[in-house]
Amino acid sequence: MSPERRRKAEELAARYPRRQSALIPFLQYCQEQDGFVTRQAIRDGAEMCGLTEAEVESIASFYTLLFRQSVGKHLIQVCRTLSCMLRGAGELQEHIRRRLGVRNGETTPDGLFTYEEVECLAACDRAPCLQHNLMFHYNVTPDEFDRLLETWRASRPAVSLPAE
Amino acid sequence: MTNGRRMVRLTIDGTSLEVPEGTLLVEAAKSIGVHIPVYCYHPKMDPAGLCRICLVEIEKMPKLQIACNTQVAEGMVVHTASSRVAEGRRGVLEFLLLNHPLDCPICDKGGECDLQDFTLTYGPGASRLTEPKLHKPKAVDLGPTIVLDEERCILCRRCTRFDNEITHERRLIVVERGHRSLIGTADGKPYTSYFSGNTTEICPVGALTSKAYRFRSRPWDLSHADSVCTQCSVGCNYRIDSRFGRIMRTYTRENPAVDDGWICDRGRYTFNYLYEPSRLRQPLIAVDGELKAATFDEAIALTAEKLGRAAQARRVGIIGGGRLSDEEAFALQLLARDVLGSDNIDYRASAQKYASPPRYEARLADIDDASLILIFGAVTPEQAPIADLRIRRAVARRHARLLFVGPFVPPAFVPSRHVPYAPGEIAPLMRALADVVHHGREEQGEGFVAEIAQALAQAEKIIAIHNGRDPQAVEALDALLDRLAQYDHPVGVLVVGAAGNARGAEAAGCVPNLGPGYAPLGRTGMTTARMLDAAARGEIDALFIAGANPALTFPDGALVRRALERVEFLAVSEQVMTETAAYADVVFAAASFAEKSGHVTNLEGRQQPFHQAVEPPVQVATDAQILAALAHALGKPWVISAEPAVLFSQLEKMQRPARTRSSRDPLPRPCVDDPVPVPDPASWPDGLTVIPIPHLYAGGGAAAHDPGLAPMRPQPFAVFHPQDAQQRGVADGTRVRLRGPGGEIEVQARTGDHVPPGSVLVLADMPEAPVNKLTNASGYGVACVDAATVTASQELSA
Amino acid sequence: MAPFEPVLTRGLGRLDLTDLSVYEAQGGFGALRKALRDMTPEAVVNEVSASNLRGRGGAGFPTGRKWSFLPNDGRPRYLVCNCDEAEPGTFKDHMLLEQTPFQIIEGLVISAYAIRAERAFMYIRGEFLEGYRIFRRALETARERGYVGPRIAGSDFSLDIVVHRGAGAYICGEETAMLESIEGKRGEPRLKPPFPANAGLYGMPTVVNNVETLCCVPHIVERGAQWFSSIGPPKCPGPKIISVSGHVRKPGNYEVPMGIPAGQLIEEYAGGLEPGRRLKAIQPGGGSSAAIFEEDLDTGLDFDSLAAKGTMLGSGGFVVMDDRTCLVRAALTLVRFFEHESCGQCTPCREGGQWVARMVGRLEAGEGSNADLAILRTLNRTLTGTNLCPLGDSIMPFLSSVLRRFPEEFETHVTQAGCPLAAEQAVAAGAGA
Ligand SMILES: Cc1cc2nc3c(=O)[nH]c(=O)nc-3n(C[C@H](O)[C@H](O)[C@H](O)COP(=O)(O)O)c2cc1C
Ligand code: SF4
Ligand code: FES
Repeated sequence: MSPERRRKAEELAARYPRRQSALIPFLQYCQEQDGFVTRQAIRDGAEMCGLTEAEVESIASFYTLLFRQSVGKHLIQVCRTLSCMLRGAGELQEHIRRRLGVRNGETTPDGLFTYEEVECLAACDRAPCLQHNLMFHYNVTPDEFDRLLETWRASRPAVSLPAE
Repeated sequence: MTNGRRMVRLTIDGTSLEVPEGTLLVEAAKSIGVHIPVYCYHPKMDPAGLCRICLVEIEKMPKLQIACNTQVAEGMVVHTASSRVAEGRRGVLEFLLLNHPLDCPICDKGGECDLQDFTLTYGPGASRLTEPKLHKPKAVDLGPTIVLDEERCILCRRCTRFDNEITHERRLIVVERGHRSLIGTADGKPYTSYFSGNTTEICPVGALTSKAYRFRSRPWDLSHADSVCTQCSVGCNYRIDSRFGRIMRTYTRENPAVDDGWICDRGRYTFNYLYEPSRLRQPLIAVDGELKAATFDEAIALTAEKLGRAAQARRVGIIGGGRLSDEEAFALQLLARDVLGSDNIDYRASAQKYASPPRYEARLADIDDASLILIFGAVTPEQAPIADLRIRRAVARRHARLLFVGPFVPPAFVPSRHVPYAPGEIAPLMRALADVVHHGREEQGEGFVAEIAQALAQAEKIIAIHNGRDPQAVEALDALLDRLAQYDHPVGVLVVGAAGNARGAEAAGCVPNLGPGYAPLGRTGMTTARMLDAAARGEIDALFIAGANPALTFPDGALVRRALERVEFLAVSEQVMTETAAYADVVFAAASFAEKSGHVTNLEGRQQPFHQAVEPPVQVATDAQILAALAHALGKPWVISAEPAVLFSQLEKMQRPARTRSSRDPLPRPCVDDPVPVPDPASWPDGLTVIPIPHLYAGGGAAAHDPGLAPMRPQPFAVFHPQDAQQRGVADGTRVRLRGPGGEIEVQARTGDHVPPGSVLVLADMPEAPVNKLTNASGYGVACVDAATVTASQELSA
Repeated sequence: MAPFEPVLTRGLGRLDLTDLSVYEAQGGFGALRKALRDMTPEAVVNEVSASNLRGRGGAGFPTGRKWSFLPNDGRPRYLVCNCDEAEPGTFKDHMLLEQTPFQIIEGLVISAYAIRAERAFMYIRGEFLEGYRIFRRALETARERGYVGPRIAGSDFSLDIVVHRGAGAYICGEETAMLESIEGKRGEPRLKPPFPANAGLYGMPTVVNNVETLCCVPHIVERGAQWFSSIGPPKCPGPKIISVSGHVRKPGNYEVPMGIPAGQLIEEYAGGLEPGRRLKAIQPGGGSSAAIFEEDLDTGLDFDSLAAKGTMLGSGGFVVMDDRTCLVRAALTLVRFFEHESCGQCTPCREGGQWVARMVGRLEAGEGSNADLAILRTLNRTLTGTNLCPLGDSIMPFLSSVLRRFPEEFETHVTQAGCPLAAEQAVAAGAGA
């Protein structure tokens, strides 16, 4: 484990009565740095908690916000559950898929945009909603999406999965 | 009350019963013969409540409850066969069958599959199961032993829980979640547990199957024989399943006191060597230095003549017994003493000196509630794997402390403490411990003495486990235990045998100074070392070696080779050609344990019967038959019977006094040779102390010839401390030659922190690279890395 | 009766309650001082018990009762605040988190004091990154002011609050899955017994409470159990935030007295339906609840009244569907939700959930059959009540309720091989925003 990671691991572990509690925050931290949970991160997490790599892999694979493959600089997660669906999420999704030329779960060939349809984001009163790099956007119409897309294209966020 | 537990009265399907409180419903029902189906529940593991097939109806509870995690309660009224229960079970089965491939006709589990069985009993009609199946990976290669069919998997997690709760290895996992869940390993790494085969048994469906048994047979075609595994000294009970006289597989046969229902992969998969070309199928006689097929009678006649002649001159020796049955070991010493008139008999063909603790004999089950487990010499995960599971459980589940004393850190899957002690220094440590414990000064003492002494003083029950190699350490341990026992600490000792029936051979009289039942003879024949030495000097003319391979296993390899080369006549009884048999003038083709009946005695002294499963090849004889034939040819047919039952009744009588003696009376000990010092690494240029290490799949006999074990068998390797490796320009994975005063071997180099600097751990008992070329009679050696031979290797360490 | 004044959401939208001084100016942390100064922990528990406060996380379990289950055996105790809000249609905790974090902190500290917890954990849904940041900042401020940390507000009581972020899993809202998740494991519900009160976080006695539940506590301490229990039905009283979404003119969070009739909520708070639209179905208590219909509009929104109607108040996620709604499609989004969020441990939820999602998916795509419908009509018998945790039991209720009420809509999807409403829906899409 790199010294910097070790420091972070210790800092996180100190927050909890037991070290393993810091595993998921630690993987989130690694993911913020590497863009996804790498094999090295799995190893480091195992070392930090006295677990086997297998155990860490099992744990990591459970959570949808821990990615085992790299995602685009822009992670676009659109809600697909009932309230958003009632207010046009389906049309928004179709629009985005067409605009980006990807299917659910895919990344654009330039590696910039990853598109995911996700479950209820607890913003049902401002439907349809989406998250861009975990930041909320509400009442997103197809036109609004196009506008957002332009601003995203113009920006190059350092991380797509912020940890803190 | 029974066992201090309050009794609870309840009713199951109209039958009233009383069981101890805390009993699970599923077990309570079983006790009155009411069958509740289960998939995820396994009596050896914590209830998981996952599969939901065990639903039952409990009066006053609105929902169906699972019987596997519901404890009995006073006055509980349970229905296991109501229509609601039937509907619930049918529902669960329907869900399980939805995506199940229904490929029973080609499934190994067919005929002993719980999914198949419960579907017939409780399942839905096929009508609604028209859903197109979801597909998952099939025939996933999980590792050297196991194939996984994810489509058949019902995610009961027995396998991952076994790997977690029983082996504590934690390498088998569930990845993903929901219906995408799969059983797997980290990053697809092979699943290499020594216990992998058990998962194929506990898997309630045909998801996990063993490569060795895949597509070989159907359960209903198999004949069964109750046997005992003899691959190590634990003596797990198993069943040998055969078809048309050929062994198809082995299967656990639970004995809670010994194996707790598990067997290791070495035991499970070592039987296919019997069907290899290298299996000896008829006796061989050396003609002009080459072994040629001979008849049994020819071999007997020649051997009898040579042994008889040598015996007359008092120049005969017999080695072996540790891999024979109790009856045959008994017969072997009869051959020496009562036929040939010699006490030159010794089962000890390796560095092991003792197989039985003289006092404080422990049972395997004593590990379960030990509070301190002290191990030196023995490497239990490699040498007594199923006993090691008990150790793991005691540590992980009951918070026992695990202390290793010795030169290197052995593999451990549960928290343990390693106390580094150089080879040869264990005895002084034990003495120092005895001293401080005796004087109640636990906190004093040098180095680790204080630490261990305090641990000992605090422990409520102590189990010591060793390998019987260091007589002085064993003696000192006994003194230490005396002190501890004075303070009312229950103490016990287990000696891990180098050969599966070492203890049986010792108890049957295969040592120079003790007869059957440890009866002191008042006279002493030659030990193995002395016989070999005498042979090497031309003072013994004939050697008979039965089921032993000293050429590979005896620590002073140079001596064995000199002896076997020099001795005028050597007869060997074996199942396969071994390093020792290669020197022989006569080789008898011996039957395997599966091909005979008798008893074996495990490391705790438990004498267990085993039954013949298959017939040996026509020209193959049991060792009892060979020994009886020799006695006959030597003119004393009445001395040795070929019948195990006859031999056993004779032996049993002679063993009775030792069995019934008071526990205060120490057992007499086998005589041992004078200690030989551990070679000084400074005595050799750039020398490193050679420490042989055991491996479950090492060995020159069956293990070397069994195709089933081949994928698991390690390459010969040596592990260096990283510093030593660097100094010598040795990198992980390179091939190096280790050279010592007695010879040299080529191994693959590895590095590891668990090796003490200045030492090298070398895999023992590998015919390709016999470590006994480097070691002396102390069991340790000295060697340097032959710089010229360091070459990069393609095969990186696993 | 005096008109209902918002309690939990007072000032929201007008005031910046993420500013501690604003919160204090409103009387914030007064209850905390009062509890620590004037009340024993038992007195706080008694007051909460007397208030009849019932958990706002979904199950409606009496909070005081839950607190009194903790064994008195000297082991450390933990309090966990459940802010994993992911129940479809529910967005109240999200709002409380982002807009009034100090109220949560105050509730946490008082409740921890009441149960003598050694440490408190704030479990925040992974997706709520902004809320997480807001809460962390608020916690820092509260710590600086001595409301959290050692010797709080000059008392002998000390408490550390650990903020823990989730990582994407609805099931972690289930309390035992949450404990597993805080322990750094897969968020899989535990087999019960043992219950968290006995063996919870790290095996210690633990209470898990919802954000809104904890937010009620300072008000009960401040204004008394009697005041609280006088709001709404006595057996489940108090203010309640209902998250209204779907086809109403003014979706949003509305704090109402418990027991308010559904129709009144729609008309008086949520602006009613769009002109010309007719109500088709309401999901009154999150994605796990069975639907109610036109004829149920006078049903009071409280745990008992909705239970009597065969559904539940749950988390208070109130989703309104008007006559444009294709109920097959509505049901599909929900069963797909449960399929996606099943942890996969137990058979019915894992396999059954996936089966149901496939069947409803087929129906929605016009590829369903009458056999599918026949199976769907029976599955609530084997799929509900047989699971390890309530998630699996949540798959069928909405689907069964709409299938029972509007069978022809489902049948038409089979006979017409598609949705009869499709054309109109396209029109509705524009009105969505
Ligand atoms: C699948 C599932 C998801 C849940 N999600 C939440 C949630 O997001 N927030 C919450 O407070 N309770 C949730 N609960 C309820 C909790 O298990 C628990 O009952 C609640 O947090 C207790 O708090 P309360 O007594 O204050 O309501 C969920 C339960 C289940 C079965
Ligand atoms: S009901 Fe579903 S979510 Fe709950 S334990 Fe079972 S599989 Fe997991
Ligand atoms: S055996 Fe009871 S749930 Fe599996």
